Amino acid sequence: MNALEAKPMQPNGKAKEIAAKDIVPRSGAQWTPEQVFLEHAPRVYSLARRMLGNDADAEDVTQDVLLQVVRKLDTFRGEANLSTWLHRITVNAALAHRRKRANREHREVRDPFNHFTEHGYHAQSIRPWSASPDNIVQSKETTALIEKAITELPEIYRDVYVLADVEGLPNQDIGDMLGLSLPAVKSRLHRGRLLMRHSLAPHFEEATL
Amino acid sequence: MMTCKELAELLQDFLDGELPKEYSDLICHHLRECGPCINFLESYKVTVTMCRKLPPLEMPVEMKERLQAAVREFEEKMSGGSKNSGEPGA
Repeated sequence: MNALEAKPMQPNGKAKEIAAKDIVPRSGAQWTPEQVFLEHAPRVYSLARRMLGNDADAEDVTQDVLLQVVRKLDTFRGEANLSTWLHRITVNAALAHRRKRANREHREVRDPFNHFTEHGYHAQSIRPWSASPDNIVQSKETTALIEKAITELPEIYRDVYVLADVEGLPNQDIGDMLGLSLPAVKSRLHRGRLLMRHSLAPHFEEATL
Repeated sequence: MMTCKELAELLQDFLDGELPKEYSDLICHHLRECGPCINFLESYKVTVTMCRKLPPLEMPVEMKERLQAAVREFEEKMSGGSKNSGEPGA
């Protein structure tokens, strides 16, 4: 039975790939602001947008981060940890932005374990999905559904979820960035995944397609 | 027997291979008898896989232009008449 052949999901694999790709390619050369922009603005924006949930805030944070990078250009000669540093300052900037945002959302924190009866059974039918991990079509429509589900996650889970399952950062790094213990990161990540699964289920369950 | 909710609570550690054997055995036993939980586990895995394959969000063109201009303006301000624009000192 496939379901019983559980394998570790290797949450760190993607992070290594990103870091390797992001090593400054111009050995010994100077970054120019233009290079900083072209190489890093898309990723900074993408992370900020997913954490903050809207373009206006993401633009503010992206600009803030890019200017920080330009200001410190001379410290980046051949550094291999630029990607990690960028993640860190983007997360810090996004959190700071969220704190000072006047219309900060006060979304009710949903408990994913509310989807079970008092006796511990699933509260609703759980049907198989039309997609399997080995057979996923990343259409624009699918991507939009996932992005919407991410935006709808409560912030308390969204930050960890985006950093872990979208950006592929190791849990320990996420804990350092967000000031959380490792068990807290894992707990929030699991709850975020359960809420994501619940949000996406109506779109992917076989009977609904 | 373990309940579906208890299985859901332990699912992450189970998939990461971090559960003690007695708990993993309980989960395997539950899964042999509970179709909904098999679907639940599989869809949890699909959720994780799909999100890991998300492409970066595309920056709107107008925003890109505004940010590029801001970086350029900031660079000019930083160089502040220096002839070494783009060549920050050590």
